Amino acid sequence: MKMEQDTRITDGQKFETALKYWLACLADDELTLGHRDSEWLGLCPDIEGDVAFSSIAQDEVGHAVFYFDLLHQLGEGDPDRLAFSRDQHLRRNAILLERPNGDWAYSILRHYFYDLFDDLRLQSMESSSYAPLRQGTQKIRREEYYHLLHMKTLFSRLGSAGGQARERMEEALLKVWPDLGDLFDFGPYEKELLEFGIISLSGSEVRRRWEEQVRDALLSIGFEWPGEIPSSSRSGRRGEHSSDLQPLLDTLCEVYAIDSNARW
Amino acid sequence: MDHRTEEFVERIRRGGKVEATDWMPDEYRKLLIKLIHMHAVSEIMGAYPEKEWVPKAPTLRRKLAIMAKVQDEMGHGQLLLRVVEDLAAPLGKTREDLIADIYTGKVKFHNVFHMEARTWADAGVIGWLVDGAAIINQAALLETSYAPYARVLKRICAEESFHMQHGENIILALAMGTKQQRQMLQEALNYWWESLLFFFGPKEVTPAAERMLYYRIRTKTNEELRQKFLDKYVPRIQSLGLTIPDEQLRYDRERKAWVYSEPDWDKFGRIVRENRGPKSRERMELRRSAHEEQRWVREAMARSHLPAG
Amino acid sequence: MTEKTWQYEEYEVFLRRSHQEPQVHVGSLLAPSPDVALILARENFMRRDPAVSIWVVPSKQVTEATGESGFLSREMDRKYREVAGYTENGRLWRMFKEKAITLEEIVAYVEGRNQESKRERRAERG
Repeated sequence: MKMEQDTRITDGQKFETALKYWLACLADDELTLGHRDSEWLGLCPDIEGDVAFSSIAQDEVGHAVFYFDLLHQLGEGDPDRLAFSRDQHLRRNAILLERPNGDWAYSILRHYFYDLFDDLRLQSMESSSYAPLRQGTQKIRREEYYHLLHMKTLFSRLGSAGGQARERMEEALLKVWPDLGDLFDFGPYEKELLEFGIISLSGSEVRRRWEEQVRDALLSIGFEWPGEIPSSSRSGRRGEHSSDLQPLLDTLCEVYAIDSNARW
Repeated sequence: MDHRTEEFVERIRRGGKVEATDWMPDEYRKLLIKLIHMHAVSEIMGAYPEKEWVPKAPTLRRKLAIMAKVQDEMGHGQLLLRVVEDLAAPLGKTREDLIADIYTGKVKFHNVFHMEARTWADAGVIGWLVDGAAIINQAALLETSYAPYARVLKRICAEESFHMQHGENIILALAMGTKQQRQMLQEALNYWWESLLFFFGPKEVTPAAERMLYYRIRTKTNEELRQKFLDKYVPRIQSLGLTIPDEQLRYDRERKAWVYSEPDWDKFGRIVRENRGPKSRERMELRRSAHEEQRWVREAMARSHLPAG
Repeated sequence: MTEKTWQYEEYEVFLRRSHQEPQVHVGSLLAPSPDVALILARENFMRRDPAVSIWVVPSKQVTEATGESGFLSREMDRKYREVAGYTENGRLWRMFKEKAITLEEIVAYVEGRNQESKRERRAERG
């Protein structure tokens, strides 16, 4: 009886560690991409598109807030502290998302590929054993439906327009490809996440399904499959980032850092 | 004046409204294009000073709110551009031209959007007082004789009520904050005050303004609106313990009007006319590159829809 | 004027805010195609207000008449087809010792009776 209880506590701790790690990956992905998206404000190719793109940026940051709130409920710092005062080696976002926006083709292609990934990741949480995550991700997935449709439409049109647009999309694909590796790295607690039923799909399964969808998407605009995704030497999921993250964090945290105890 | 114009003027004098497809005198059309084009472009260029603070907003909620606010400004630009586009269509002008007019200097935008947003408190003051001034301007236009403009203004004003709360909330947090935060706020007020007074335009009624009043495009003078702004905002600014950087500022009970030091009309006039403010060139360049260097996107989006051949 | 072979089209945007209301015109936008117009309309016109349906219609497809032409004029008395044209009913009913009733009263009564019958059914079951 006593033994059993001990195992439960240990399991409880393992559960919590794995869950927190997973939530940080989710929160940091969404915050980082939402931040990059927001840099497009006022700079999109047309005014109507500018307005629409900003909603996507807000949704991404909104989703980050949801995940940070869950972390906070599990005893971590308050959401703002988590967002604005963690060093880069504690940030869990994939490297792809910290890259600067580049041109419109790169931004759209990156976003579409990430949204396809995120949709699969959300699917893997729809029957999560952790109820708050299960409930939240169902809502988030409904919002992400619009993002996917939006990005898919832009991706298809830009990809099939020929001329400069096609060249830029080809360049974007080559630029995105080497950065994809750590997107599917579910981190050191992947086994626990699956065992505890926090998620139902492994990183490699998500990757398999993602590759299937991306293969079709590329085919639909007459693009060739660029070959196997290179395995990355670094993983953002483990706090190993590119040199693009620190400048992003410097900007993100600039005002907060003036006085991190003040009310802003 | 020909008979048609006479009838037209009489109709709007009786409170009649004009629609896009109605006949209108050329002068009326041109005045509207000038006014609404400037309004539209000011919304779009007005997004930049705050946009610069979107990436730096100090809390998640502030980040979301300022994004939403800047997005609204772009949205207002969109609504207003559509009104101008319908007016300018008979003259052969399109969206492409109306945007290009910004960086070729053919259309002006408000003085405040040529200024630099140096700190988070500046972003707050823009949200509170620049928006406050703009709201007064826009509310006064709700009665305009041009119905499509009135309808868009109605929608804009409804959204501005969120902007008002948003701006005030940033300011209140700073005013209740640390000594450093209060100092930031005071410095921001010092920097923006003169621009705010200029914002409403010259005291005298210019010939163009005269014509706008004549056609009931506008119904109030610059000075009337400036006075209303001072009425509403001076007491609130003072209640926060802030000092308005104008020793002459006082309410004259006999004249029932605010007395204030004149802003430097020449300096700000040049800023608007010649695009010579601290941030004019940089922001015009942002608009140029967004428009010119991404023409390939618009072209591709339109072309990929066309049937092959 | 910019020389170009392509152009965006104008679309009119209509929202239905609830199932009880008609589709209402809320504005217009420029877009390269109907599918993109729909995506853009969602954020340009329903950032705050929820809707149950959204249409985009090429502006070219709209045939319009405005009041200026006289097409929409209704100058003469049309009281015969309005409630306001029948105020005498109240006085006439009083001659029969009855009160005039309005449609709103009937609607309220119909809705009230539904509640009443529910109560009755519940009472019967209980």
